[in-house]
Amino acid sequence: MTAEPAHLDEREQVLDWVVRHAARLGQAGAAPLRRITVSTATLAVDVEWSPTAPRDPEPRPPGTELQRRDDPPGIDAGVDAGTPGAVVVTAPMVGTFYRSQEPGAPPFVEIGDVVEAGQQVGIIEAMKLMNAVQAEHPGRVCEIVATDGSPVQYEEPLLALVPCDGH
Amino acid sequence: MFTTVLVANRGEIALRVLRTCREMGIRTVVAHSTADRDSAAVRLADESVQIGPAAPRHSYLNAAAIVTAALQTGADAIHPGYGFLSESAEFAEICEAHGLTLIGPPSHVIARLGDKVSAREFAAEAGLPVLPGGSGPAAGPVEAARTADAVGYPVVIKSSAGGGGRAMTVVHEPGDFARAFAATRREAVTLFGDPRVYVEKYLDAARHVEVQILADGHGDVVHLGARDCSVQRRRQKLIEETPPPNLPEATIEHLGEITVRAALRAGYVGAGTFEYVLDERGACHFIEVNCRLQVEHPITEMVTGIDLVREQLVIAAGRPLAHRQCDIVPTGVSIECRVNAEDPARGFVPTPGIIEEFVPPGGPFTRVDTHAAAGLRITADYDPLIAKVSVWAPTRAQAVARAHRALEEFTVRGAGLCTDLAFLQEVLTHPLFRYAKHTTSLVDQMMSTPIT
Repeated sequence: MTAEPAHLDEREQVLDWVVRHAARLGQAGAAPLRRITVSTATLAVDVEWSPTAPRDPEPRPPGTELQRRDDPPGIDAGVDAGTPGAVVVTAPMVGTFYRSQEPGAPPFVEIGDVVEAGQQVGIIEAMKLMNAVQAEHPGRVCEIVATDGSPVQYEEPLLALVPCDGH
Repeated sequence: MFTTVLVANRGEIALRVLRTCREMGIRTVVAHSTADRDSAAVRLADESVQIGPAAPRHSYLNAAAIVTAALQTGADAIHPGYGFLSESAEFAEICEAHGLTLIGPPSHVIARLGDKVSAREFAAEAGLPVLPGGSGPAAGPVEAARTADAVGYPVVIKSSAGGGGRAMTVVHEPGDFARAFAATRREAVTLFGDPRVYVEKYLDAARHVEVQILADGHGDVVHLGARDCSVQRRRQKLIEETPPPNLPEATIEHLGEITVRAALRAGYVGAGTFEYVLDERGACHFIEVNCRLQVEHPITEMVTGIDLVREQLVIAAGRPLAHRQCDIVPTGVSIECRVNAEDPARGFVPTPGIIEEFVPPGGPFTRVDTHAAAGLRITADYDPLIAKVSVWAPTRAQAVARAHRALEEFTVRGAGLCTDLAFLQEVLTHPLFRYAKHTTSLVDQMMSTPIT
């Protein structure tokens, strides 16, 4: 019975430490904080910043960032809203996103490339199956949202296109 | 013990599983569809993964997406809840192949017992009494109709892969058989991705009694008593209670013993339920095995004091059972009422809508398992279950009164939304229920002769 409060104290200390550092972490990156994941047992702190320029002018007070995981990605999560009329290509399934056909190969698309409807823009690997990700609309790639080799959820934004009529 | 469990389900059961994991210090990941991204389970989970769209086929029934989500998040076990993939031997195999522990029986046991046709064959071999019916899945409508003629109407056509009262049709007249056969087959494909159906004798006025078991991987099996689930609508349970009222102690003991023996013979591991029907003469007939946690498990928990989800996790982690048969002494009576978004006046059709006001009951020995709250949208994509109200009391009369009181307190309101709350109270006050003389035909009787 006496061991329990000591154990709790330790956890409290860890939490305090994270809360105290959250504010500083929030300002450490150029972009606003996107996610802090704290795993207990053997402690791991995972910090992620938005890949884009700040959308959120008001830094959130420390502590509010301490959610275990932010909301599941919506259509517009983390996508540059600065490009008017951008269309987002989202993950058709949960899996690992790859930008190129094989390691070391050039990516399917880069920023500035013009893609046609149906053109392959990436791969999602799920259970050793490589699934092609295609652009549904023609457009010019204005942003690559998901990192090469990163796990993505269903409908998570992968890249953004500015629509164009193509031909 | 596991470090991370992925919950591959939604609604109240996702929360139920998550809560025990949390109590045991296990990290939780909730796999969810786009429709459930704002659910309480997602909010309370340590992590969540959006696995697909609202349609279950592409999310909660999508084995590849669930396994990928588990691997992505470092989960070492998957809890399938009930329904969806909980009784899919194929899913269990995929999990095993990827080094993930599926919390449930091993794939070969699910293949044998979760499939209703082979479960019937197993039961016959194991010496359990089975109802007359076809041996094996029906080859086609003509052969199935012949089986129906041979066993005599009424008969029931059931999906071999089905469960939870879905994809099963009772047929009273030979003239209705062909249409019912085709419809059941279609439903079986839609819901379970498996067209196999079989035909069995249907008892019109029977009691539905089931035995809860726990089996570890070391050859020990215990039973946790029996539940009566005779109050059903459209072959789905509405009210369950334990112990079964008005049933001789010796009958319950006998059911427990034959179930334990059959489970041992099957090499069963995990929590499971053997379902039986009792005819007017009290003779019992095996109907099926549920290789998973049951919706109505809370009432067994309330009379035994055993957390069944905890036991599932302990067993799946390879530990021996903590309870011997003589340690399990159920006390009192527990009753569960299922509160559904449905309209009893229109044949219990689901009524989708948004819940605007939600005030669940409280009070002594009253447990509410729910994922609902004001603002929740009840969609046609999923089961219309809103909440399970379970009560405990030392006697049946007190338990019935307590359940009635709890339902009276319950407020669920929303535009277009109906619930069965008033109907459940009607059942609880019905003389047949009060005298425990009711059978599975009670609801139909009430609908044809309403008591006011």
